[in-house]
Amino acid sequence: MRRSRVLGIGIRKIENMGSRDSILGRVKANQPEQRELPEDHAGPEGVSGDLTPRFISVVEAIGGAVFLVSGFDRIVTILREQFPEVRKVVSGCSQLGSFAAATTLAAGLGDPHGLADVDLAILPAHFGVAENGACWLTEGRMVERVLPLITQNLVLVVRRDAIVATMHQAYARIAEIEAGGSYGFAAFIAGPSKTADIEQSLVLGAHGPKSLTVFLLDEHLSDAGFF
Amino acid sequence: MNKDHAALAADFNKDEARVDWHDETLWFVRAKRDRAAAQVPDWEVLRETASRIKDNVLSNLSEYLRRFEAEATRNGIVVHWAADAAEHNEIVLSILRNHQVDRMVKSKSMLTEECQLNEFLHANGVEVVDTDLGERVVQLAEEPPSHIVLPCIHWKKEEIGELFHQHLGTPKGNADPQFLTHAARLHLREKFLTRRAALTGVNFAVAETGEFVVCTNEGNADMGAHLADVHIACMGIEKLVPERRHLGVFLRLLTRSATGQPITTYSSHFRKPRPGQEMHIVLVDNGRSTHLGRKDFRNSLKCIRCAACFNTCPVYRRSGGHSYHTAVAGPIGSILSPNLDLKKYSDLPFASTLCGSCSNVCPVKIDIHEQLYKWRQVIVQEGNAPAGKTAAMKTMSWVLSNPGVYHKAGRMGRWFMLNVPFTVKNRFNAWFHQRELPDAPKQSFGDWYKKNRKHG
Repeated sequence: MRRSRVLGIGIRKIENMGSRDSILGRVKANQPEQRELPEDHAGPEGVSGDLTPRFISVVEAIGGAVFLVSGFDRIVTILREQFPEVRKVVSGCSQLGSFAAATTLAAGLGDPHGLADVDLAILPAHFGVAENGACWLTEGRMVERVLPLITQNLVLVVRRDAIVATMHQAYARIAEIEAGGSYGFAAFIAGPSKTADIEQSLVLGAHGPKSLTVFLLDEHLSDAGFF
Repeated sequence: MNKDHAALAADFNKDEARVDWHDETLWFVRAKRDRAAAQVPDWEVLRETASRIKDNVLSNLSEYLRRFEAEATRNGIVVHWAADAAEHNEIVLSILRNHQVDRMVKSKSMLTEECQLNEFLHANGVEVVDTDLGERVVQLAEEPPSHIVLPCIHWKKEEIGELFHQHLGTPKGNADPQFLTHAARLHLREKFLTRRAALTGVNFAVAETGEFVVCTNEGNADMGAHLADVHIACMGIEKLVPERRHLGVFLRLLTRSATGQPITTYSSHFRKPRPGQEMHIVLVDNGRSTHLGRKDFRNSLKCIRCAACFNTCPVYRRSGGHSYHTAVAGPIGSILSPNLDLKKYSDLPFASTLCGSCSNVCPVKIDIHEQLYKWRQVIVQEGNAPAGKTAAMKTMSWVLSNPGVYHKAGRMGRWFMLNVPFTVKNRFNAWFHQRELPDAPKQSFGDWYKKNRKHG
């Protein structure tokens, strides 16, 4: 079926805010009588214990990789193994200065287009969500809004004790974080960018990162078992 | 006259193997939705909660719109109001003209499909590139999307390979989804990096904070918006939620219902423009305020566009999205579209078996199949039913309300079917299409009863 090229839409001068009052008037006249908000729903009952296994399995199921680590030294070691080829790295984690030579970029960046050739971005997320593997980042942690999208590979660092069970707890956490100042932009990021638009075949790396790696940071962890 | 749903569905059904493939592909998505929903123990509570939050939104919509406008303005976003599609399109064009922009990237927005924005901008010398992969495919093919979540679900990979060969210069005969997706990635990255304006849809807007949320798997909305000098977000006025925390309920439902994923890859919360950037929101009515006043139908404004009702619908799966000849197809489109143009879309509420599967999967509990049934009554009462059907129904009603006529007609029908079956079993009888007619009994139940009662 071809799109109709014939349009019955003529050019009309827009009057300043002309339609606002008429729309609001019609909505007011037609809206049904008051219905109260339901009681708050906080998710399934009886969720307790360690949320780490659930978080890890969900992130892996949506195409990401997870490493449970004791500190940034371990992260550097693993990054060197996982991304031996990368040239341009941007980090939002000050602890990774030794790994990411381009960390200074963060300060003096003016134009987001300059990030088009970033191979790897490492950013600290506020928290993760066990039920869907998403991590929450506000723009203050993104260096640039486009960075977590435009980089070829994305690494997120999350504290292990900052995993919440469901999206209900997630928005409660966001409200706490907001108390320290409101964001202009923020996002839940769950896995690498993906599409299944061609015959439902899942392909990782649509327009954004081709890979996502999450480091769960737990200083109490012994490295013994990991070396 | 344009073809109606039945005629377009008949066209689609000419290729039986393709219909089976289409049917199975969508059922696969429906099955993924079922698995995802089953893993959420409080799924039914979530649906009920979402439905009731939307009840509250609809009953306070004018207040929430005012609040949203005030908060968004405070955040530095420019808010526009459009009464209809034409005004929406003019607003977008005027923003682009103010910036001397004649090339734009756009992520998925069913609202702009509803308003036919692409055609309008094209006619006014503005090039629009759709950046969702599925939307890019149908755009290159000069077709509308056939599904609101999976725009090119009716395309086979070999056909996409050929399309990309023609338009993107990929090797002829290559139909590997991975390869084709990568080709589109390179093709669209160049667009993201060079376009100064980006338009996105809106999944949810929050009255409390003046922010809006856009959900994508591909990251195309973010790539466009964060690289552009001007970001235009277009939304129907029903997209509001009262407070940010309510997003928790809707984000848990949306993607599980749509594709069976636990959440989209990106759930982006836009609250303020980036320094140096301009951000616009266009609030569009286009019939929604009228719809709000229709008691039997206003519930359909709760829709969060997950398309679960498409994937489960036995009619959609076997007739294809284009047979609905509207921007939003499927069961939900069949109850939304008659509000926009009752005459043009009078066929759509009949494109259903009323099986009720759509209502069962709807994450916000819209009574879809009941509304389909109610629209049928409105359409017939207002004289919009097809002439043939009206005549048949009138005859039927005359026959059924006159016992003498009924018995005579029954006897005649049996005689014809027994003695000259070809007068009934032919292509002029609409009931004979895709149906086997049963053999006629020698006598009616009435005759049988009379006879046996006499003897007994």
